[in-house]
Amino acid sequence: MDQKKYSEYSCMLEPKYKLARAYVPNQVMGRIFEPREALKKGTLFPELYMPYKYGKKRDYYRHRKYR
Amino acid sequence: MDCKQLALLKEIMEISFCLVETNLYLDTHPTDERALRIHNTFAKKYDELTNRYRMKYGPLMPTSMSKCPWQWIESPWPWEIDYSKCD
Amino acid sequence: MWVYEKKLQYPVRVDTCNPALAAMILEQFGGADGELSAGIRYLTQRWHMPTNQAKGILTDIGTEELAHWEIIGTIVWKLVKDAKPEQIKGTPFEAHFVNHGKSPFPHNAAGYAWTATFIQSKEDPIADLHEDMAAEQKARATYEHLIRISDDPGVTDALRFLREREVVHFQRFGETLNIVQEYMDKKKYY
Repeated sequence: MDQKKYSEYSCMLEPKYKLARAYVPNQVMGRIFEPREALKKGTLFPELYMPYKYGKKRDYYRHRKYR
Repeated sequence: MDCKQLALLKEIMEISFCLVETNLYLDTHPTDERALRIHNTFAKKYDELTNRYRMKYGPLMPTSMSKCPWQWIESPWPWEIDYSKCD
Repeated sequence: MWVYEKKLQYPVRVDTCNPALAAMILEQFGGADGELSAGIRYLTQRWHMPTNQAKGILTDIGTEELAHWEIIGTIVWKLVKDAKPEQIKGTPFEAHFVNHGKSPFPHNAAGYAWTATFIQSKEDPIADLHEDMAAEQKARATYEHLIRISDDPGVTDALRFLREREVVHFQRFGETLNIVQEYMDKKKYY
């Protein structure tokens, strides 16, 4: 088992996670978009901006760069 | 609706959207003080902009005071506005 | 209660007269995973939620969905309002037109009328929040299908906005699920 896989596995054993349950990581607010950009993108939060790649690849990759 | 009115309406739409975002975030992060500060800044800006809009172009909400005739029904309805006409 | 604000949430631009696309967009006006279903589903599930965070998120996302329903209706209206009957004839909008004219109506793209069987409320917060998270993913998938068939750049722009909202709502329902699970654990043991 390589290092990455092992750390993923041990994370799953943390006591706060229980079997047969779904979890979504809690968002910790980072920087925010300017209001105009937020409305255009559909979110105020860069970490939640996950556009559909179809037909608009350039926009998607430009955003990914500064993450 | 002229370009000046449309520009102000769009600015209100932008701030109002930011308020939706901080609203939902705060529902699940009620003690995030930085998010609360940001929300309050948007809320203040929203009040300023909607007051300015109401004085100049009439109410965005039916709870506002009105001159005669009843101003609420006078301005264009949201689905009738050409939002791209001044781009 | 609710108060109407005389504005759309997003400035909808429509570039074409396009009855065929309007008929497909109706999927999100009155389809199973559409905005009407979303709004009524979340607002219906509020009464039995155990925490204030959950009551808040269902109220506020439910309210936003009604604003999205208005955006979808506006897209449909703008796509057909200038269409002559000859432009409608032979398109998938024709069957809608003979019943409803150009008015939007809550049925799906195939013409099946909206029904409460599209939604659910179980008086079980965990089951309901899972339904809500699934609903956001299904709506996201529907928006992606619509983006792929849209030949109107303005409409595509609005669809991208609405799709991104599904991503944000999924995150909020996920956080709400964490909060509710933790609350129910505490209640069991103390």
